[in-house]
Amino acid sequence: MGIKAIFGGRPVLEFADENSRRSFLRNAALVGVGVTYVATRVGDPLAFGTADRGYGANDANASDLDILNYALTLEYLEAAFYTAGLKANLLKGRELELVDPIQQHEADHVKAVRTTITDLGGKAVAQPKVKFPAGTFSNRANFLKLAGTFEELGVKAYHGQVTLVKSPEILGAAASIAGVESRHAAIIAQITGGNPFPAPIEANLPMGPVLKAAMPFLAK
Amino acid sequence: MTDTTADLIHGNASAVPAGVAIGALNNGFALASAKDFRNDIEVLNYALALEYLEAEFYRQGNKADLVKGKEKQYLMQIGADEASHVATLTATIQKLGGTPIGAPAVDFGGAFENRKSYLTTAHVFENKGVGAYLGAAGFVKDKMILQAAAGIFGVEARHAAVVGNLLGLKAEGGVYQGSFEKGIAKADVLTAVAPFLVDPNKVVAAITY
Repeated sequence: MGIKAIFGGRPVLEFADENSRRSFLRNAALVGVGVTYVATRVGDPLAFGTADRGYGANDANASDLDILNYALTLEYLEAAFYTAGLKANLLKGRELELVDPIQQHEADHVKAVRTTITDLGGKAVAQPKVKFPAGTFSNRANFLKLAGTFEELGVKAYHGQVTLVKSPEILGAAASIAGVESRHAAIIAQITGGNPFPAPIEANLPMGPVLKAAMPFLAK
Repeated sequence: MTDTTADLIHGNASAVPAGVAIGALNNGFALASAKDFRNDIEVLNYALALEYLEAEFYRQGNKADLVKGKEKQYLMQIGADEASHVATLTATIQKLGGTPIGAPAVDFGGAFENRKSYLTTAHVFENKGVGAYLGAAGFVKDKMILQAAAGIFGVEARHAAVVGNLLGLKAEGGVYQGSFEKGIAKADVLTAVAPFLVDPNKVVAAITY
């Protein structure tokens, strides 16, 4: 076990293995004030036409309402996914206890984001039709694998909008949801033998790549 | 980022029409009082104090040999995350021209008596950390700092959930704390961590000048 001294010569940091050390070194330099760190690229092409979905042409131009509708779409997708997965009765015991509340959380997120859009005088996007690959709900492993994909995608999606949301209230609301998605992502990873802590700081993705990843699950 | 920083000054809700209350999302984001933080450096030093406490907590806890196997691996990883947060916040404060607070003297009492006391204390720290970041985020003016703080906040939520699960706590109210995270005001966070600080006044003075 290697020990690195980082605070005034006091050894406070011990790494479990070489991978942890490398991951730490990579992330320690992540935040650079005054460094050209661009969270999102202006002009990222979206995976599909924006006109009929109500999103802005790119992240930088997206209004708070656009961002809320984007979040709403992802929450709708997640809620529908867990509703179908729990209906299929694939889990039992502790696993079921851990996954069951996630469905309720996602449904609450849908409701809260919708209400926020309406309160702001905006028009909430309709619930999208969803489709999941054949076999998704035929066994526990397939269900939880896709759950992990959705949760990590959701986390990255919320963090990808942090610098773009204009209203502090909406930002706070989005953060309070994003933290819950992080909990979900970690728990799904933990029960499937994945890594609940992929990085010391959450990764983020702009709208384009997130929508590209989500598109296969949104039916025309 | 000069034209955008002002947008995030706490209380500037220009994008939200007057009189609109986002009632569905009462998460305590705006709960801290205006005098809690005067600038980003104060927020960052507040976060740094908590991260120092967490990093040192896991360093001592992991040395006490209370956990094994997968559980130990998780706790080592969490400890490395906290140390990484300390390094990140320290570097950020320095780059902003501020002075990072020093590591506080700590005493975790009986936290390392056994596995259960270790994990139970860890669970408290993680959930307070989640609430502290959310409660302070509204004060951060620089969007890049906000991005980093949000990124750390999310990882603290991961830690909280996994530690809650290691303890076998009930899912809702143990592993998860409801459908929305809730912010915790600075004064309440400081009160909660005071028992672990040898001299709480020193820490409070360091983060509020």
